Amino acid sequence: MGGLIRGYVRWIDRLSDYVGYVAMYLIFAMVAVLLLDAVTRNVIQIPLHWPVELTQFTLAAYYFMGGPITLKNNDHVRMDLFYENLSDKGKARMDLLTIGCLMFYLMVMFIGSISSLEYAIETGERRFSMWNPSVIPIKILMVGCIGLMILQTLSLICKHVATLRGADLT
Amino acid sequence: MTDEFVAIFMFVSMLALLSTGQRVFAAIGFVASGAVLLLYGTGGVEIPFSQAFKLFNWFPMLTLPLFIYMGYVLSESGIADDLYRMLHIWFGRVRGGLAIGTIVLMVIISAMNGLSVAGMAIGATIALPAMLKRGYDKVLISGVVQGGSSLGILVPPSVVLVLYGMIARQPVSQLWLAGVFPGLLMAAMFIVYVMVRCRINPALAPVLSDEELSMPLSEKLALLRAGIIPFLIFFTMTGLFVMGYTSLVESSAVGATSATIAAAWKRRLSFGMIHETARKTLAISCMFLWLILAALAFGAVFDGIGAVRAIESLFITRWDLTPWQVIIMMQISFIIMGMFLDDTAMLVIVAPLYIPLVKGLDLGIDNQLIWFGVLYTMTCQIAYITPPFGYNLFLMRALAPKEIGLLDIYRSIWPFVLMMAATIALVMIFPQIALWLPETVKAR
Repeated sequence: MGGLIRGYVRWIDRLSDYVGYVAMYLIFAMVAVLLLDAVTRNVIQIPLHWPVELTQFTLAAYYFMGGPITLKNNDHVRMDLFYENLSDKGKARMDLLTIGCLMFYLMVMFIGSISSLEYAIETGERRFSMWNPSVIPIKILMVGCIGLMILQTLSLICKHVATLRGADLT
Repeated sequence: MTDEFVAIFMFVSMLALLSTGQRVFAAIGFVASGAVLLLYGTGGVEIPFSQAFKLFNWFPMLTLPLFIYMGYVLSESGIADDLYRMLHIWFGRVRGGLAIGTIVLMVIISAMNGLSVAGMAIGATIALPAMLKRGYDKVLISGVVQGGSSLGILVPPSVVLVLYGMIARQPVSQLWLAGVFPGLLMAAMFIVYVMVRCRINPALAPVLSDEELSMPLSEKLALLRAGIIPFLIFFTMTGLFVMGYTSLVESSAVGATSATIAAAWKRRLSFGMIHETARKTLAISCMFLWLILAALAFGAVFDGIGAVRAIESLFITRWDLTPWQVIIMMQISFIIMGMFLDDTAMLVIVAPLYIPLVKGLDLGIDNQLIWFGVLYTMTCQIAYITPPFGYNLFLMRALAPKEIGLLDIYRSIWPFVLMMAATIALVMIFPQIALWLPETVKAR
């Protein structure tokens, strides 16, 4: 049992890291596309209509793909007035008490995203714009990322339990 | 269950959850999605997710990660070291000169970046240690860095004003221009404050020794070159945008590129630094964007129960307030909520409630919503530095040298809070401080 949990935590953490590494470098893609837009319009006078929209898609991918790794690395802001004074075990206990909130929010997001994806597939939903791209790929990516965030939350729960027992999973 | 009860219940449970120390976005998202399911049943299950597409359509949001990236590159690039050295030599002979130089440095950094993170990082890692070494009073300088770096969101470019512009549907270029003079006014107030304090009590800020400052005039002039790169960055980013060559989101990409080029010019660019910067940018951007996503879901519920009308009837019908009293009430409620609530969440949740109301008020001011945006940003600045919940406070604790304790930080901010409040009052009495520049540029 212990080995199974250890393996699960290791694999999910690694997966979150890899997805996060890809996301990290999307920032340069956004810069490049926007620069291309600025240059083509001002220098060679060919206005393009798709760059901003493409960057919007990239931003959505950026923060959804960054979701699991930021959960794993504990990068989210907390109101740590009381929390900061707790011991490591105290923090783990407090987190275990309230992590259900995170799980609940993510589950609602997950169910919502699946139902939204189903709708998109049934109707062949496209964005209403000159470029007119399909929204199905980004919705599939969002469903996957929220799913991974849920798996990462489970991994966090395992780690908190381990901390309470005085073990270390990482 | 009345709507008012729902609204109050949501607010209270959010505050209770936040105080447990759970991630802010999780606390807000939980309350929002719980409320959605209670109010609308399973039919509402898509509401929290659909906010992702509302955020998607707010394309000025693209500036957020780019400004964050830029802030990190600037603080790593060594531009700030040169600037600080220049200000150090030029202001060294004035009483409290290093503190004044730090405020000037913060204004320059603010003109290059739209968040307070960069100013904070630079202030805490470059200016604070230098001033501590020379025996400056730590409470004074900790306040200078916190107050000064908060100018980042008022002096253009400003991410807070971008977010406000999206919610209020106002042009960002006008909002940015409106922030210029209030920002400079606030900085001037900080400088006068430092000068007066140091005149009254010279022990707060020892004058630098002559040997540290003596250098030939030609060398002194050569130091001024440190200002060239920041000026170029400011020009390529904000300048080209205000002149209409680049759009808002393009200008942030241009800014990110010019900061990267500047870092390469200073030979600070390496693969390790790029990787580290991209990692930190992702972490901070995700934190902000998930928070906004959760806050949007929260706001959607408020929208659904008609909270705007409820507040309107409370302020105007029940309390019978005059338009100016309403504005003052709003500012006070912003400041109080800002102490306990996350500032970004506050903007996304509360601003949509207040903005329709402000639009309808008869204050006799043209461009009322632009003016209100500036007022709003200044209350945000106060929220940033007031305990128990303030981003700058968190950052300060994480970044400042060990000698500066939490108590020093808390004690250092109140004069700056008062000066910010004074600036808010001035801009309320004389709206032209904010509105003159945007109107002049528009008329041209």
